[in-house]
Amino acid sequence: MNILRSQICSVLRRPLYRQLTTTARPFVPPAQLVFHDNLYVPGAKELDDSTVEALVGETNEQEPEGDEEDPDDDRDKPHPDSPNFYTGRPSYYDNIIELQNAISRTRGTLQRLHLLPLPEFARKSLQPMPTVWKTPEEMTTDFETNMTISRYRRVTTLLNELNEYLRIATTAGYADVADRIGSIISIFESGKKEAFLSRGIRKPVLLDQHGRSYTFGKRKTSAARVWMIPVKSSTHETISDVNVEEVFGLSNEPKRSPVNVTVSTILVNNIPIAEYFPQPVDRERIVRPLKIAGVLGKYNVFTLVRGGGTTGQSGAIAHGIAKGIFAHEPETGVVLKRAKLLRRDPRMVERKKTGLAKARKRYTWVKR
Amino acid sequence: MIGQVVAFNQTLNDPIKYFGTPKNMLLEFRLLSQRCSVIRNITILTAEELNSAASGPSHKTRYVLTGPSGCGKSFLLLQAVQYCLAKEWIVIYIPRAKTMVNSTTTHVYDLRTQTYLQPNYAHQTLRRILEVNSANLQTLTMRDGLSYERRSFSSGTTLAQLASAGSKDPAISSVVFETLLTELCRQSKIPVLLAVDDFQSIYNQKTTYRDPHFSAIRPYHLAIPRFILEFASGKRSFPKGAIIGALTAADPAFPVTNELMDELGVPGVHPRSPYSKRSKIFQEYARGLRNLPVPTEFSPREAASVFETWMRDNALTAPANDELFLAKYTESGGNPKAFVWQGILGTLEGAAPVVNESTSWPQLREGRI
Repeated sequence: MNILRSQICSVLRRPLYRQLTTTARPFVPPAQLVFHDNLYVPGAKELDDSTVEALVGETNEQEPEGDEEDPDDDRDKPHPDSPNFYTGRPSYYDNIIELQNAISRTRGTLQRLHLLPLPEFARKSLQPMPTVWKTPEEMTTDFETNMTISRYRRVTTLLNELNEYLRIATTAGYADVADRIGSIISIFESGKKEAFLSRGIRKPVLLDQHGRSYTFGKRKTSAARVWMIPVKSSTHETISDVNVEEVFGLSNEPKRSPVNVTVSTILVNNIPIAEYFPQPVDRERIVRPLKIAGVLGKYNVFTLVRGGGTTGQSGAIAHGIAKGIFAHEPETGVVLKRAKLLRRDPRMVERKKTGLAKARKRYTWVKR
Repeated sequence: MIGQVVAFNQTLNDPIKYFGTPKNMLLEFRLLSQRCSVIRNITILTAEELNSAASGPSHKTRYVLTGPSGCGKSFLLLQAVQYCLAKEWIVIYIPRAKTMVNSTTTHVYDLRTQTYLQPNYAHQTLRRILEVNSANLQTLTMRDGLSYERRSFSSGTTLAQLASAGSKDPAISSVVFETLLTELCRQSKIPVLLAVDDFQSIYNQKTTYRDPHFSAIRPYHLAIPRFILEFASGKRSFPKGAIIGALTAADPAFPVTNELMDELGVPGVHPRSPYSKRSKIFQEYARGLRNLPVPTEFSPREAASVFETWMRDNALTAPANDELFLAKYTESGGNPKAFVWQGILGTLEGAAPVVNESTSWPQLREGRI
């Protein structure tokens, strides 16, 4: 189906074409093109007949050439590419017209396919396709005109309508229609579309080739980098674990198989947690995400923390550990979220205000 | 056996009662219903070393227990003392050696020995040694007689009689103490253990004592620290026995000195260079000391036994389950002191709040308190 002409090349006008349509030539008034014989020059000598004949012969040779060039110039001048040449913004209007043509053709096609006009329930069930158009600055280079707000709005209105038709076509399953619309739309889409649409969404943390997660945690002015790796449990039983009495059958206690328990080691700036944080409250804050997720003894933790004081650093490490647990086990997400451990604590030190002694403290009230 | 918590026997000559213990250990024993400790790998190792030391002179077995703060050095020393007593050794246990250098007892200059005597300290120590080792001391006799200040002891008096005379009269106790040690150095029947906690305090350049010119007295100029320094360096030696010292890692008044750290090969907190100050005298006194490093953390099995001991004593505020145990073990990193004091005893965690389903107020049923 030939819905749209091949407009991709013609849509974008190259500045070179415009320059070739106008040629620069010096202006010569027609009266000066004729050679005058009787020119009075004071002090001029009388010329010989032979020289006069020679001079007359040269001018007679030049004149017919000059006469022949004038009508040919009009014929050799190239025609402007588009009829919008005389608007002063040919590229802009060309693109507007191409977009409008594309819209009208697409509308016709969709109407023939009974996809337009779309009832309300169908419109609600369309696949969402959020797009981010180029900024006015970027479009200025494409359209070769200064994109004012009104011109930008005009273009984006047309592009949004095209995007709607693209949504209808993709949801309906007409891939070729969708491809052609998509090819036009993609010219005007911003390169930062992926980044803009994924802002605010939590990026999934990937485990490296050793199975380690690398996450970041922050609290107040502290920042912590946390690496977590699962603990490898060794199944061999050491000689010291063997109870001599039990082996010889002398003990009265019932025989129980020993449970192999792995333990987590937490290193902060390469120092054991008990040495780095002397206060038990800081240690408890760090171990809390492991406790709530039920993975005590499952992961070894190595952190590098910087900035702030004890509370900030322990809070940052806890945030990083919670994110790391979520990276290893997404099922714990619900529990950690309910406990507000995956959330970066937004509380920061409040600024001091003028007229107050501190952030909230007022100066002593004096009656007089 | 390893990882098991065992109680110390309540004997007639209980060393905990007569010699005493370091302060932290004393507080812990007050909280516990029974005085007990956990048997670790290092305990077995120390026992084996003491077994081999029973047949050799003490200058061949001079150990210093080292490790970070709270790793169990004092407890291991007490276990060694109890083991030797059970093996019928003579035990001289000094749990707080810093009391002999921190100017808490009187000091008197003696012209004969050219050192400062500590009569009250000697009197106290003699009394303790007598109480704990009376049975063994009664079997030993003096080789030479002693006459001092209108008191005389003929050769053949038992060491128990000598010690009891010294423990009654502080005036002669310093001389009696010196004589007792000399006699013990001559007999080779019964092995002798000299166990000193706060070992680094006698290696500090300056004690808190002042001489008449108000300059600090050196520990080798005080009588009793000098004895210990001589035994530790091998200048004096028991024909059979061992010398064991335990460092106190975190005492700012008496830090571990460069000479000790060099001899034992301990890295120390601050970096040392060849240009750091070192005393030749103390290097001489520290020569030949061997490092016996105590493991920095409990194994999970040992920690579990300790946890169960406190659990049985109803010391836990939170419900006793493996989650609490693992959380406290992880928080303390396995460090014994941190696990017991800040983990088990120092936690503010309690039982989780229980939602009353039968209440008529819906917001209370949701669990929001």
